[in-house]
Amino acid sequence: MDMNEIKEIFFQECEEQLAELESGLMKLNDGDRDPETVNAVFRAVHSIKGGAGAFGLDDLVAFAHVFETTLDCVRSNTLEPSPDVLKVMLKSADVLADLTNAARDGGTVDAARSQTLVRELAALAKGELPQPVAVVQETVPVQEPAPAPAAASDEAEFAPVPFSFDDFGLDEPETQPEPVGKPQYDISFAPRNELYAKGNEATLLLRDLSRLGDMSIRCSTDSVPLLDELDPEAAYFSWKISLATDRGEDAIRSVFEFAEWDCDLTIEATHGNPSTVTMDENELPMQPVPFDLSVLDEDEAETIGGIVEQEEAIAAAEAHLESLNASVMAAQGVSNVVVLADNDSRAEALKNNSSQPQAMQASVGQTIRVDLDRVDRLINLVGELVINQAMLSQSVIENDSHGVSAINMGLEDLQQLTREIQDSVMAIRAQPVKPVFQRMARIVREIADTTGKSVRLVTEGENTEVDKTVIDKLAEPLTHMIRNAVDHGLETPEKRLAAGKSAEGTVRLTAKHRSGRIVIELADDGAGINRDRVRQKAIDNDLIAADANLSDEEIDNLIFHAGFSTAEKVSDISGRGVGMDVVKRSIQALGGRISIQSRPGQGSVFTMSLPLTLAVLDGMVVTVANQTLVVPLTAIVETLQPEASAVHSFGAQQRLISIRNSFCPLVDVGQILDFRQTQADPMAGVALLVESEGGGQRALMVDAIQGQRQVVIKSLEANYNHVPGIAAATILGDGRVALILDVDAVVAASRGQSLRADMPMAVAG
Amino acid sequence: MAVKTQTVQTLTLPAVLDLNAASALKTQLLALRGSPVTIDAGQVDRLGTLCLQVLVSAGRTWEADNLPYTYENASDAFAKTTALLGVSVEQRHGEH
Repeated sequence: MDMNEIKEIFFQECEEQLAELESGLMKLNDGDRDPETVNAVFRAVHSIKGGAGAFGLDDLVAFAHVFETTLDCVRSNTLEPSPDVLKVMLKSADVLADLTNAARDGGTVDAARSQTLVRELAALAKGELPQPVAVVQETVPVQEPAPAPAAASDEAEFAPVPFSFDDFGLDEPETQPEPVGKPQYDISFAPRNELYAKGNEATLLLRDLSRLGDMSIRCSTDSVPLLDELDPEAAYFSWKISLATDRGEDAIRSVFEFAEWDCDLTIEATHGNPSTVTMDENELPMQPVPFDLSVLDEDEAETIGGIVEQEEAIAAAEAHLESLNASVMAAQGVSNVVVLADNDSRAEALKNNSSQPQAMQASVGQTIRVDLDRVDRLINLVGELVINQAMLSQSVIENDSHGVSAINMGLEDLQQLTREIQDSVMAIRAQPVKPVFQRMARIVREIADTTGKSVRLVTEGENTEVDKTVIDKLAEPLTHMIRNAVDHGLETPEKRLAAGKSAEGTVRLTAKHRSGRIVIELADDGAGINRDRVRQKAIDNDLIAADANLSDEEIDNLIFHAGFSTAEKVSDISGRGVGMDVVKRSIQALGGRISIQSRPGQGSVFTMSLPLTLAVLDGMVVTVANQTLVVPLTAIVETLQPEASAVHSFGAQQRLISIRNSFCPLVDVGQILDFRQTQADPMAGVALLVESEGGGQRALMVDAIQGQRQVVIKSLEANYNHVPGIAAATILGDGRVALILDVDAVVAASRGQSLRADMPMAVAG
Repeated sequence: MAVKTQTVQTLTLPAVLDLNAASALKTQLLALRGSPVTIDAGQVDRLGTLCLQVLVSAGRTWEADNLPYTYENASDAFAKTTALLGVSVEQRHGEH
């Protein structure tokens, strides 16, 4: 378990805390004044700060600290969470997220922005609160390692020192502890001359001390004489320290283990137990924790080499490893349930002032954090199991001509079981779309700010669950669509008022399950698509002929074409060279479809329909020109056997089939895919009536239907290459590879328009 | 002091100001006594308590002499250590 892994856990925690923060702030924004909501928000920031401190992420600590101080004012009812205040706080939450990301992935944060916010936050806090609060360390999911800070080995930087003063320009650094939180200790530390003579360094002791928790410090320099009288080797400074830690007095004492005989040290617990303990020379340290060498450079280590032996360095390293392990275990145990458990333990702590470790209480939660790779491996294996089971039943059927046998029945049970296992495994990976939706709230805020539009984001169905792989890939297209909706879709407040709408635009983001897919709708109440302009633009860009006769729907769909942007001037929001075509492609890559309905003056609705999982698919297995293909069942409306009277020729190549008094183009899949040069006889095959996203129905001609089956999707892109008209591949029961048809691509190719780039072979054919 | 017209002397602190450096620092500072002094802390990688005591004492001494004593270019390490120890060096003299 190395530092990076622990750090990774910390960042995962951060994501959860940030989500918690955001949703809490949104609740406050909606008028929720429940103290628990405020507490939850405060805790989220505080936890991030605590963890960041442990890893030496100074920027993050500094910002979180200011943020936290202001939040504490809200918590103590000295600052009313008015909309203006919350605006600053929401922005601060965004910056905190940025800082977290920057700390994880590198990269930079808009320094000016965070500086502005620091000032605004400080101003909010200063207006109401006479003193900044020395905030108490609590609920850091990733426990700080024991006094020996592992960060030092990884980070060349200094240790984080989460102080509370200076930020507000107040002169008094010694502050009162907040009323709730970890035990507070007042420490008085006055080195004697011997301390320095023996090569100890007060700086290092204080640094170790600061790592135990949140510390504020006051140095008494009064006894420092003028230079003439100064003995450069003598001790003049002494300190009064106030430290909030849940590590106990022992941990504090162990920091001074090697110095205690050479200093006057008092440690006084000010929380609950006011017993004053003065350490005298006879008293032995409670628990020997080796002095930490890792914070020392080589030179400095030499100067105290006489005191600290090599063995102790090793012991320190070992103790280190142990504490790291313990903290990782704790972090893993706590993980997802941190917040819930935290509430309980917080109430508990309030009642009896106890300092019970959070992990104890956290263990009541019933979630574990599992590496996604492991789940993926399991899913893959179950997929193989399904294939294997299918192969087994197939060979049994082939060898058993006597119909139903005991083996056959057993196999059916097995099939049932494997299917259930597969469903359960897939459920492990299912997650609510909430985190993605929450991220969109921020996007909306930022664009609203940039464009000067007033926007309200309404989300519905956030708890709709979908496979994690889908969620991960959803954020990007969604972000872009939201940007588009606000930037292009919504009008400026003036225009809105002029059009008789409220000045505030609404963007509605909805998720729901519909027939085995997840449907995500993004609706705005803006101006709708300006079809004249889209059309003109398409003509200008040579996308369509000037005299092309297009339906409204077809015009609307033009915006999904590559390089299409109707914004008159390229804004820095959506005009980044990424158009709706990219959105469409990434949705399609997910096996999804996207469509648009727009009503002039009333807004547009983008509808995305996505598979719940990317791992399995219900398909119809068909034969085309001696090849076995799989057609996704979701695309098929019905199947029919064409009759000669229903098939009509249309032009040189085209044929139509009449179904219940309407005509539908007949598309020979074999010809589109270049399996054969001439069209097959429709009467000899089967027609699959499919509905495609871009518009209308098509009858796909195949030679025969083999049956319906759930197939495990194997990516062609990952294993071979993208093949036009083919979405993916699968392995059938008999062990052969079958291609999964990309229905939309085939339909588009049959229209002979648009997707030329996607379908070079098909168009040629 | 009749030396107020003297130009400002700059003392560039060495990178390492550990326990062993305190005496030398005191000597250096004493040598500058009587002139306005600017302490350049830009090179400091490590600052120990003893040296900080010397610097605070010097600040106090210069104040007593009624001469300017200022810090400039405080390095990260310098700033962090003084903050850690709760000693302000922003002002012209040591904290009280």
